[in-house]
Amino acid sequence: MKALLSFFPAFRPVRGLFLLTIVLTTVTVAAGIGLLGLSGWFLTAAALSTAGAAFNLFGPSAGVRGLSFVRILSRYFEKLTGHSATLRALSDLRRWLFGRMFARSPLPVSIGRGDLVSRLMADLDALDTVFLVALGPIAVAVITGIGMSVLLALVLPVAAPLYAIGFLVATVLVPVALVQVSRKLGNQAAEAGAQLRTGILESLDGHRDLALFGALDATTDRIGVQAERLSMVKQKLGRLGSLAAAAVQMTSAIIVVGTLAAGIDAVSNGRMDGPVLVGLVLAVMASFEVSAVLVRSASRLAGSIAAAERLVDVAGGAAPVDGVAPEVSLRANAGLVFRAVDFGYDARAKVLNGVDFAIAEGECVALRGPSGAGKSTVAQLLVGLLQPLAGTIHVGGVDMAQIPLDALRRHIALMTQDAPVFHDTVRNNLLIGRPDADDTALWAVLDAVRLGEAIRSLPGGLDATLGEGGQSLSGGQARRICLARTLLSPAPVVVLDEPTTGLDPQAEAAFLADVPRLTAGRTALVITHADVPATGFRVLTLRAGHIVDQAAGTA
Amino acid sequence: MSSLLTLRNLSAPTTTGRMAMALPLVSGLLLIPQAWLLAHLLQGTVVDGLSVSLLGAPLVYLALLMVARVALGFGADVLALASAEQAKSRLRRTLVETLFRKAPIWTASRSSGALSAAMVDQVEALDGYLTRYMPAMVQAALLPIAIAVAVLPVDWFVALLFAITAPLIPVFMALVGWGAEAANRRQATAQGQLSGYFADRLRGLVTLKLFGRDAAEIEQAGAASEALRHSTMGVMRIAFLSSAVLEFFAALGVAGVALYVGLSYLGLVNLRFEPFSLQAGLFCLLMAPEVYQPLRLLAAHYHDRATAKAAVAEIATQFGSASVEDDQIPSAIAVPATAAGARLVLHDLCVDAPDNRPVVCKASFSLKPGEHIAIVGPSGCGKSTLLEAIAGLRPYRGSLLLDDCELDQIAPSQLHEVIGMVGQRPLIFAGTIADNIGLGDRTADAARLQEAARRAQVSRFAGQLPLGLNTPLGETGLGLSGGERQRVALARLYLRTPGLILLDEPTAHLDVDTEQAVLDELMGFARQRTMIVVTHADAVAARMNRCFRLVDGQLLPMPVPKLPPAGRRSAA
Repeated sequence: MKALLSFFPAFRPVRGLFLLTIVLTTVTVAAGIGLLGLSGWFLTAAALSTAGAAFNLFGPSAGVRGLSFVRILSRYFEKLTGHSATLRALSDLRRWLFGRMFARSPLPVSIGRGDLVSRLMADLDALDTVFLVALGPIAVAVITGIGMSVLLALVLPVAAPLYAIGFLVATVLVPVALVQVSRKLGNQAAEAGAQLRTGILESLDGHRDLALFGALDATTDRIGVQAERLSMVKQKLGRLGSLAAAAVQMTSAIIVVGTLAAGIDAVSNGRMDGPVLVGLVLAVMASFEVSAVLVRSASRLAGSIAAAERLVDVAGGAAPVDGVAPEVSLRANAGLVFRAVDFGYDARAKVLNGVDFAIAEGECVALRGPSGAGKSTVAQLLVGLLQPLAGTIHVGGVDMAQIPLDALRRHIALMTQDAPVFHDTVRNNLLIGRPDADDTALWAVLDAVRLGEAIRSLPGGLDATLGEGGQSLSGGQARRICLARTLLSPAPVVVLDEPTTGLDPQAEAAFLADVPRLTAGRTALVITHADVPATGFRVLTLRAGHIVDQAAGTA
Repeated sequence: MSSLLTLRNLSAPTTTGRMAMALPLVSGLLLIPQAWLLAHLLQGTVVDGLSVSLLGAPLVYLALLMVARVALGFGADVLALASAEQAKSRLRRTLVETLFRKAPIWTASRSSGALSAAMVDQVEALDGYLTRYMPAMVQAALLPIAIAVAVLPVDWFVALLFAITAPLIPVFMALVGWGAEAANRRQATAQGQLSGYFADRLRGLVTLKLFGRDAAEIEQAGAASEALRHSTMGVMRIAFLSSAVLEFFAALGVAGVALYVGLSYLGLVNLRFEPFSLQAGLFCLLMAPEVYQPLRLLAAHYHDRATAKAAVAEIATQFGSASVEDDQIPSAIAVPATAAGARLVLHDLCVDAPDNRPVVCKASFSLKPGEHIAIVGPSGCGKSTLLEAIAGLRPYRGSLLLDDCELDQIAPSQLHEVIGMVGQRPLIFAGTIADNIGLGDRTADAARLQEAARRAQVSRFAGQLPLGLNTPLGETGLGLSGGERQRVALARLYLRTPGLILLDEPTAHLDVDTEQAVLDELMGFARQRTMIVVTHADAVAARMNRCFRLVDGQLLPMPVPKLPPAGRRSAA
């Protein structure tokens, strides 16, 4: 519930619309009550009347017509404003949440991509209940309940306590109890939904491998079970909602019969007029329109609470370092310096142990070493994706701890080992590196990475859309798109993590020989397991967490 | 697909479904005696001046009727829920089956975000149609007539009014809801686009962040989200308008009945043989809103139907485009079980890349059982595509004989028993390392998994992790380096007994030391088995019997590269 409440501020910008919606909803309900009450009273009065044509027909009938049109109009606008305001708030919230994901990335591995998409889509949509279902109807129910109780207290005092208590049960007790009882199921439903989506996304990504290993049938069954589980939880959840609705209907039946009995007694004892009784009974029946809406909402509220918790979970926590440090000026000519840097996900199992090296401005350095020696960790430390356990890293003459992340990332361009090709045009894939680059610059960089010819042959050239995961490119070509993107960046320091994966030996050698030229005027750190050319590189070798060799030339 | 998936098929009535539609009908019919009793009670009190004690029996009946209707409503809800959830669950399973009948290259050419959105969100969007619209439709068709018939003995004019006005309303509603389906379609598309966008960008959040693209991407997400909002609002506006129109006509109807009854009481209108009693008048008045209630309900849920139609259309779009050939299940030819290596004969084989550029044209060669060959060539020349065709994952022209059977005639399940392939971008799914290796053979016990992990050199890095093979991995194998991912995939192979091994860059990302260890084990496993390896590494090619170079669609024999002895740690 706390999680759900924490989203209230997101609805603040549209609070004017919400207030209007509450007013309109109240008008709708009041008009409905008035309509039935007035009709009942009017008809009974007419039936009892002996006045014939002298009976004032036009006042009440005009009232009936007026109320029914007011009701139609206010209901239309109530729905329009309520939904418009909610959708606006949700759209802003979605944007904000995606921003938080950026701020928090790399995101914990435990939350899969399907799960994240679920949170951005389904969970976020479930928050619509905050107003549409919870706040609005509750406010209107309170107003209606008080209004009708006061009316009853004036006209039929015996029935007023029964109505007040019954209405309280129907609009507060039952919904609250329902939310409490279905909390756990709501969580389970959200989880089951996310699991199903993750399972489906995995089998889409891995369709080929699943086919190769003959695991298609087993996977179908697994997803079938996941779908089944979601359906079971939803059924249980829905059943609770129906039970609550039944409880509310039961309460309203008791109140109607009770009011009727009290009213019959009052009329037969001459304490009340017949037409008033008829009007009153019909008005009481009409007032329960509010509670019916409320229960339908409450059954969704449990789901919303679970959704809100999952959203807080992914959005929560402060972003690392971001923008806390004052503006610093990084000197392009001060290079990179690692001093006694330790790193480990666990202090007992260190990945890096006292790493010491310095790279001067404009130098081209290859970092080599066996798999798992911690080469990629060095790159991730350099761009602030990881923080060292001990030691200092200086970038551009400034201690990294003092550098705001955005400044650091303008200074260093990193091509990660798992850099993806996005489902977008060649142009947009490259512009990520430098948004203001013109076509000449794009073709130049594509030629530089020896991809120009391949892209020219694609229909549309720079505007050709690359498949998801770069599927329409070969592995080596996809890698080179990422490389081109990195080289395009104006950053004075370029870090390439395994840039030649997927290239044939000739292309790899040619590429590595090109690196000094491609990065001329910049500082370059190339992480690779390949042999590097004798000239143009200084080679650092990383083994078992520290630098063992700083010789120049081949390893 | 389109014939498989229609709204009608989806709502094919089951026993539960039929009950779910019948119960609200009964509950609706009970409204008639309920209104009659209420009118009777009010008449008794107001006109006949009876006291509570004399009206006790009808009061009790009224209460019982109300309780019965509550119970019926509850039962109907539960049943509707059950039948809808069953239908959705069945549909999801069907969609997975449909997907898996298609070729993997079809899946690879689609946006996984949009496909998964179709299977999760669009199926969910059928909910309202199944649980609410279907029962509402039955009620709307039958209840107004039943009520008109019930009112007929009381007052023929009111009954006539009901009978005439009620059927008119759906006509007006349909007019207003004319654009509803198109609006829903737009909304479903916007939803698919947004979730596809998220699914794509979430693969590379770190990359985008490192390039300082967060602000621009958030802006783009905001724009796509706004587009979804506008299209959703479009759907809502139509839905609200059509229910307003309906309410307008319903209000006219109720007001008409009220006016008629009122005027009759005052003697200004006289269409009856006998004077109107209060009970009869109130009964007519109480029934008037109930005639329109099922229609209002239908209107309220009318957009559920439009939503469902749009969802079905979106699902059909995602799954139905038959531009890439659906995998027809071949007439299952049994491949002779081979204890040892398979024989592979290519004759005039042609394979096209996804962009229809020929990758291989008229390639012919044959592989004897137990023979090992390497295919090398510049990156992007189509080596992986050729390998996928030999694995039966892509269509080809010409002839490809596996143990004398034409490859595309062999049932996929059979084929994948014989062929063991590790591709370039292997799937690492959420689960432990052991789970991931176990994909090779789900029946493998811990000892066999350990052995496979050892042979693929997975133990080298897994041994250093506190949980070893039980270390959980992320969805895309986050936390593993490229070389580690490749080795986990290779370990799967060691759980199988393939006659033909196909490997795509098995030692990419590996340092020399690990590469040699991986190769030593691989050569041991591949003894007696036929093997094709696509590689850039001379260290790999040097260990094969023969070597081909793929250039411009031609497979050209070339000498097997010789490695200087220093590059070999030990002879295999």
